Amino acid sequence: MTVHFSKVPFAGTVPSPQTENEGMITGNWRTRRPILDADKCTDCQICWISCPDSCVNLSTANSSLTFNLKYCKGCGICNEVCPVGAISLVPELDFED
Amino acid sequence: MTSEKLFEESGLKQVTVWARGVYENKEARDVVVALTEAAAKEGKYVQAWENYVDLPDRIYVPVRAYGKISEQEIESRYVYENENPDIVALTEETLVKGVDILNGIKPGAVLVVNTKRPAEYLFKFIKNGTENLSSIVTVDANSLAKSIITLSGAEGATDASGIGKGMGAALAAAIVKATGIVQFETLLQIVGNKNAAKKAFETAKVVEVKTLIKAV
Repeated sequence: MTVHFSKVPFAGTVPSPQTENEGMITGNWRTRRPILDADKCTDCQICWISCPDSCVNLSTANSSLTFNLKYCKGCGICNEVCPVGAISLVPELDFED
Repeated sequence: MTSEKLFEESGLKQVTVWARGVYENKEARDVVVALTEAAAKEGKYVQAWENYVDLPDRIYVPVRAYGKISEQEIESRYVYENENPDIVALTEETLVKGVDILNGIKPGAVLVVNTKRPAEYLFKFIKNGTENLSSIVTVDANSLAKSIITLSGAEGATDASGIGKGMGAALAAAIVKATGIVQFETLLQIVGNKNAAKKAFETAKVVEVKTLIKAV
């Protein structure tokens, strides 16, 4: 059997999930919601790389950085690592949505 | 006998306590253990256990602890979840949002919440099951006692930290005030933080759901 090395799959990889699993939606774990102060944000992207659930969406030409609140567990790491204090944690029940 | 009524027991009261994993898992267990131990002292038949599939070692995950209190011997003792709770308690207010806390409640059920906010405000967030709810009880248990954060006892082995030393004592006292499921004096003999329990018994606010529906 001869297969070119580039065709051999890297060990331990699984296909990226294509659908959502209802049982794994973790937004209702959150007690505090991260809120961005866009004026303070310097786009350093430390929150994006630190988020364990990949819930930080990088800023684009049209919008500043946003959070995926369907999966954000409110762990507060983004608030902790932000060097300019642009992310604050607000009690979830202050928001009606 | 239909399968739905297979486990129907007339004298049985089911208590379900919702909490957040790691931070309040111990307090949820304390509430049901304090209530059931007090009821056992009064000669009732009791059971207390935790939901096995909730995995309380995940921080902030909604977890459940269950209690059963009955005048007669409990026949449904191998049913692992409270499918029709009479009392639902929340150790943390945000659980009203996005978690189906009132699933399967019996008519006349009582909801007890550890919160500073008024019941009217929390009621807006509850989507399902309010037609069977009779009253909402609010108590600011966090101001009376802290949550004891430990995983000791979470797997059913020795619970090294004692019963009712944290804010679970206050929440249990609020449940007793609203439902009278046990005598308050008996509960005081069980819980460790007696001051918090007494203050919660005085300050817990009971609001009828009927009055809330008109307001909304």
